[in-house]
Amino acid sequence: MSKAGDWRNYKRVLLPPVKDLHRLDAYEANEGYAALREVVTTDKWTPTSVTDEVKKSGLKGRGGAGFPTGLKWSFMPPVDPEIPRYLCCNGDESEPGTFKDRQLLEYNPHLVFEGMLIASYAMSIKTAYLYIRGEFADWITHMEAELEKAYQKGYVGKNIMGSDFSCDIVIHKGAGAYICGEESSLMNSLEGKRAYPRIKPPFPAQKGVWGYPTTINNVETLACAPLIIRNGGEWYAGIGAPNHAGPVLYGISGHVNRPGVYEYPTGMLITDLVNEVAGGMRGGKKLKALVPGGSSTPVLRADMIDGVTMDADSLREAGSMMGTSGMLIMDEDTDMVSFLRRITHFYHHESCGQCTPCREGTGWLENIVTRIDEGEGNLRDLDLLIDLCSQMEGRTVCALADAAAWPVRYTIDRFRDEFEAKCKPSLVASGVDMATA
Amino acid sequence: MAKVTIDNQTFEFEGQQGLLQFCLDNGVDLPHFCYHPAMSAPANCRQCLVEVGTPQRDRATGEVNLDDDGNPVIQFMPKLQTSCSMQMSDGMVVKTHRSSELVKRAQKDTLEFLLINHPLDCPICDQAGHCPLQNQAYKHGPEGSRFEFEKVHKPKHIDLGPRVVLDGERCINCTRCVRFTREVSKSDQLTIIERGVKNYPMTPPGVDFDEPYSMNVIDICPVGALTSKEHRFQARIWEMSKTPSISTVGAKGSNCYYWVKDNQIMKVTPRTNMDVNEFWLADEERLEYTKFNDDRPEGPTVEGADVSWELAWKAAADCLEGVDGSRVLFLGSAWATVEDNYLLTKLAKHVGAPAPMYLPHRKAGHGDEWLRTDDRTPNAQGCELMGMQHGVIGELKAKLNSGEYDVVYIMEDDPVASAMCTVNELKNVKVVLHYYNSTNQTLAAADVALPAAMAVETVGTYVNMDGHAQRLRPAKAIAGVNRTLSMEIGKCRADRHGTPFDRWYNESNLVNCQPGWVSLPEIAAGLGLELSYKGPRQIMDEVSESNPSFKGATYSAMGELGVRLETTGITA
Repeated sequence: MSKAGDWRNYKRVLLPPVKDLHRLDAYEANEGYAALREVVTTDKWTPTSVTDEVKKSGLKGRGGAGFPTGLKWSFMPPVDPEIPRYLCCNGDESEPGTFKDRQLLEYNPHLVFEGMLIASYAMSIKTAYLYIRGEFADWITHMEAELEKAYQKGYVGKNIMGSDFSCDIVIHKGAGAYICGEESSLMNSLEGKRAYPRIKPPFPAQKGVWGYPTTINNVETLACAPLIIRNGGEWYAGIGAPNHAGPVLYGISGHVNRPGVYEYPTGMLITDLVNEVAGGMRGGKKLKALVPGGSSTPVLRADMIDGVTMDADSLREAGSMMGTSGMLIMDEDTDMVSFLRRITHFYHHESCGQCTPCREGTGWLENIVTRIDEGEGNLRDLDLLIDLCSQMEGRTVCALADAAAWPVRYTIDRFRDEFEAKCKPSLVASGVDMATA
Repeated sequence: MAKVTIDNQTFEFEGQQGLLQFCLDNGVDLPHFCYHPAMSAPANCRQCLVEVGTPQRDRATGEVNLDDDGNPVIQFMPKLQTSCSMQMSDGMVVKTHRSSELVKRAQKDTLEFLLINHPLDCPICDQAGHCPLQNQAYKHGPEGSRFEFEKVHKPKHIDLGPRVVLDGERCINCTRCVRFTREVSKSDQLTIIERGVKNYPMTPPGVDFDEPYSMNVIDICPVGALTSKEHRFQARIWEMSKTPSISTVGAKGSNCYYWVKDNQIMKVTPRTNMDVNEFWLADEERLEYTKFNDDRPEGPTVEGADVSWELAWKAAADCLEGVDGSRVLFLGSAWATVEDNYLLTKLAKHVGAPAPMYLPHRKAGHGDEWLRTDDRTPNAQGCELMGMQHGVIGELKAKLNSGEYDVVYIMEDDPVASAMCTVNELKNVKVVLHYYNSTNQTLAAADVALPAAMAVETVGTYVNMDGHAQRLRPAKAIAGVNRTLSMEIGKCRADRHGTPFDRWYNESNLVNCQPGWVSLPEIAAGLGLELSYKGPRQIMDEVSESNPSFKGATYSAMGELGVRLETTGITA
């Protein structure tokens, strides 16, 4: 059952169909910075009431982990004028299959700026960093120009719109490493250090950027903040799945007729997304497998998605996760071994190398999967792969090892026959007498 | 007091303490690589994983929940925790590999990962035999490897700087070396480059790893990735004896080990003493060991002719026999031990001469408030506490040239090299010289030349610049010393554990010299002065009783880590 209600008539709010919305004048003409103005210039809002409104909205982080945003904001320690505090907006979107933040940065950057400023107001932050992966070079240039315009209009900087709230936004360009999307690694990268993830505790709210209290939110998460202020937390909570409310950007890629980023409520039936939103399978082929939320989330077989909706509860029940809602759709011709080979290559390439299990394990996984893909694998390799996953999961500083191990574990688990078929035939199974062989 | 239970054994502790260090301090051995007590814990090797549980508390009341037997209910963390980064708390329960199959498995798994891309070139690796990776793989690792692919290749034999060589393939990325330059020496000369499995430590572009403490990274490297340019491929660890002693370079008196093979010093490594040098040793303290091996004399000479020790001692006594004591200059030495300087003082007194002086050897601006000091000698503080004055070069030179001396008695120093005088200026006086190396420039003017045992060959006491009295132990044998009977000389593992017919030490490179505490009593005897002691231990007993500055500085009190004297004479 879809939890998205009348989604066919859904009106887009994150990426509304407005021409030139990426430009400040167009954004202003469409309620742009109105929410911020209301927050900073009227008595209606205090930092606490903004946070409470976000809590009421039920907004959960859109960066993959799905942590309640309002709760995260309330983890910041009480304000001490002597101690700086920071906001980081995580725009280091680099998980394979995930390309939704990029749409926001390109088509609605002021919504992101406004969200950052509202979040900064809620947490009494005076400096907000926007960390964007370096590959988005063109949009970074464009955003810098737009940010300059916002500064000139007094939306950012000192005494925003004549209020006593001041906040700067700093755009920081990454250098192309997946690991920088991990929050503590992002902070190290921002500080000019090698992007090794930090041990937690201390958590960013205690000791973040430059050692000071910091909150890190995803681009899409922060873009929701102005909408919540504009329309109220209850309005937001009423969109989509009850436990995982709000609009969400579905990044659909793979063997469908119309891949792309689509904004719809959470709780959409996966079948609706594939068959209607994305225009059905390419060439009328049959759906074989689907990764619902970026490459690290467990793959689902076509027979596992009946009635499954895109929200945390339903996907957990189905045996996967919401992740970043970047959906990889694969048709019946897809070679799942080859698919896994590409995924393991990615994690091998992107492991930062700090922790032993991930540094050594990701390469080993790729080695074995490659061997199987090339027809040189043995059946026992499959058990070894699962064993290596157990040796990596939960034993590292950050979650990259888990992200690398899960696809291996679940793809083998759910498509074992395909893997076995690609392995060299077992001597026993092919009737060779081991005593004389 | 707060309690922690480790493998069903309960320990008490106070204050904030890291779990791994607490385990190590209390005899609970846990495998680890990246953790070092002097540096931050990055928890990157993942070798010290343990199960950790804490008492479950009622959310509403904050009270500890109790089970049916009245014991606290322990809630274990869902994931294994790195003990190095874990702070202990009251009531914590820890399971190590001794009581948890999960931990045992995790330790084995991590070692399997560490070994898959490690070159396993142990037979030709300098670290073999004292390698944490080797030892822990043996104790906790898997029986074999399931890895069937080509290992990752990384750059090898890279000169990071003038003294340290890197083998990138052996590196297990513990980052101890990087953290050393960042947190301890603060030179920031190393960082990790590349990504993932290709990672290895490297200097930033255009930077040489040449800081004065660079070689410490060799000791803290848990594998053979960082080696000494000087020592690599020179000796196996088990064929060298290891003797705990004191560095003779500078006035800090850093505690060190001297490693000896075939009666030659092969290398010098730091010995932990938290009151003196902590875990570290300056590069200069490691590299000035060649003076112990090279240019050593071959027995005593009188007027340039080789003679027996008995004749040489007699000749030295003859130089002092019947002279006017006030016309004898006794030079002690800040290289010599407290014991030897003490005997010399007694001899000077017997002859009626003023108390011995010592020559200062200072290099202004060399010191760095850490282990390197302006003073280049190890025992100037000891000399001062003995009541010896440091000689002023110009004054001594003037006195010598105005003919105030008939005899100059020099113990273990080189006044010519110190520009106190020239060889010619010593022509008109009798010169008795105890010396270390044949490069001693005063040797040309010596009437009686007595080769002296160096700090690595004798027993004695040095007092460092902070007033820390510490013992020297003989690391290598000299001619006439029976190595098997000397309990103080270290033995190599092959010696210690081999059969009686399988001795690794030999009689090569034995220097024909005598320590001051042997020569001086013999010379004194020729002058009618009885200086018979059983050895330096007894001499030091007398010093500690007779000289209030040395109160309590007996051999038994000094042990391996020395004692801090209450009064000090000079500051560095």
